[in-house]
Amino acid sequence: MVEIPILALNSVSKQYDDVLAVNALSFQILEGQCFGLLGPNGAGKTTTLEMIEGMTPPSSGAIHYRGGPVPSDYQDRIGIQFQATALQDFLTPFDNLKLFSAFYDHPLPMQTLVDAFQLKDFLHRDTRRLSGGQRQRLLLALALVHDPEIVFLDEPTTGLDPRSRRDVWDVVQRLKAEGRTLVLTTHYMEEAEVLCDDLIILSHGAILRHGSPTALLAEAGVETLDALFLSLTGERLDAPEAAV
Amino acid sequence: MTIRRSVTRVWAVFKARNLEYLRDRASFGWNLVFPILIVLALAVVFSGPPTGIFSITYLGAHDARPALLDFPGVDTVDATETTRALDRLARQQTDMVIAVAEGEVRYWINGYSAAGALTEQLLKFSESRPLISGRTEGDGIRYIDWVIPGILGMNMMYSALWGVGYVVVRYRQAGYLKRLKATPLTKFEFLSAQVMSRLMVTLSASTIVFVGTNVVLDYKMVGSIWLLVLIALIGALSMITMGLAIASRTESKEFADGLLNALTFPMLLLSEVWFSLEGSPDWVQWIAATLPLTHMLDAARAVMLDDAGLLEIAPNLAVLLGFCVVGMGLSTRLFKW
Ligand SMILES: Nc1ncnc2c1ncn2[C@@H]1O[C@H](COP(=O)(O)OP(=O)(O)OP(=O)(O)O)[C@@H](O)[C@H]1O
Ligand SMILES: [Mg+2]
Repeated sequence: MVEIPILALNSVSKQYDDVLAVNALSFQILEGQCFGLLGPNGAGKTTTLEMIEGMTPPSSGAIHYRGGPVPSDYQDRIGIQFQATALQDFLTPFDNLKLFSAFYDHPLPMQTLVDAFQLKDFLHRDTRRLSGGQRQRLLLALALVHDPEIVFLDEPTTGLDPRSRRDVWDVVQRLKAEGRTLVLTTHYMEEAEVLCDDLIILSHGAILRHGSPTALLAEAGVETLDALFLSLTGERLDAPEAAV
Repeated sequence: MTIRRSVTRVWAVFKARNLEYLRDRASFGWNLVFPILIVLALAVVFSGPPTGIFSITYLGAHDARPALLDFPGVDTVDATETTRALDRLARQQTDMVIAVAEGEVRYWINGYSAAGALTEQLLKFSESRPLISGRTEGDGIRYIDWVIPGILGMNMMYSALWGVGYVVVRYRQAGYLKRLKATPLTKFEFLSAQVMSRLMVTLSASTIVFVGTNVVLDYKMVGSIWLLVLIALIGALSMITMGLAIASRTESKEFADGLLNALTFPMLLLSEVWFSLEGSPDWVQWIAATLPLTHMLDAARAVMLDDAGLLEIAPNLAVLLGFCVVGMGLSTRLFKW
């Protein structure tokens, strides 16, 4: 029996006025997997992610959910953390959790989220005064208020110190252990090696390589994904401009 | 069920927006303080130096002054032109005008003024010379009475247009709208919550300013308070929905700012906020009639100054309602997260 993928892209493209941001991508994501999108700046990671999220319509091609069209309650099933996002001024993490919980039928209890993302210490602080790591944890919590089955994370660890990055990794691994499907983008090869079951390396909107980290390394005969990436693109992935 | 869900979401966004507004002390304070400052400044300008209990305008020779003018609590204004003095009397800027000539004391009071009646009694009691009485009947619309609705309306206009127009564009530019789009919240729910929140804010701020300035200034308000509330409600709504329509797609705060200015400036100039357009060319009045603020102020002045009824202000209200419908229709249709 062939497993029906939870998400499948069939020759999906995105044309902006003068750029072909995504060029006929086809790949599948299996339920419970952590799927990684890698590639240099401007490769089309965010654009691809946002088309799968239903935030941007593809210019051509089709996206399927469990073998069929994307259902009308798709927004209830997915949780999103954008690469760049803003919250309302003057609101605290507490206010934001309440607000976002109200959008859904069956939100998780606030305490569960506060514990899971260690928000207690700054629960009543203006969100504009949070540190990068604290803010990232809040945004993760907001993406998960409704207990979604698929979670999209666009560069969840960019700009975080090693300690905060590990915290995010822990969260991702916990989410995976709970059986959720994760789709994330990253500039850190090490992160992809640790977290992803399957990944694609994109450049100029097209797939350069597709496979599990171990398979890709074996195939290329190199030690690290970093080395593979450099040989593929001639660019460093964790270049300084990748930082937010 | 879906309606209940919808109401829950609107309520949550409404509350969040209110919190944001209330915690933004600076802009919250400014919304209240600014109109009060203007009104107080006007009060100072138009009431002159601190006055006594009665103000009497005197025309005549110094050695013929009636004894009344030296009573404690009586302020005397010396004048030379009878017609101008009587003008002041009609507008109730003075309580009595006295002219003494050839041994006769001629005086005028305003039939609408209680202070006029009292000074008349005092004059009769204190004056031994023969008295000749005259009467004017101006019901005393002072400039301050006329301009107060203008200031309140202008303040509502700014609060309504910027409070939603600018704020929604700010949300969009920062990426907050995109985050909301990724939730089950619908455009209509989001827009309704913004409208409700701003309506509440604008109306309560105006109420505070209205009551506050009335205590200090005791300006004229002869009509129905409920009609006035109705005018404020529909008027604010019409401008809030206009603001939303402007904000429906714009991605730049600067551009939104320009558009909002382009919209408020003609109203500031032509909607009779500060001065009447009576006697101005037809085309000016014609442009003024296309602006919502004009209709709001027209109706508000009719109620406050002339005790107009619902029927008399119905045409103004109809125009304002038209603006509401068009504004809300445009914003839901054009809106992009
Ligand atoms: N709204 C847009 N209009 C026009 N071009 C766009 C738009 N969004 C993205 N692009 C272009 O599409 C290409 C892919 O952008 P995308 O944001 O998907 O890259 P990315 O892989 O996420 O890059 P990064 O690592 O810097 O986040 C880029 O050339 C970008 O300039
Ligand atoms: Mg990106």
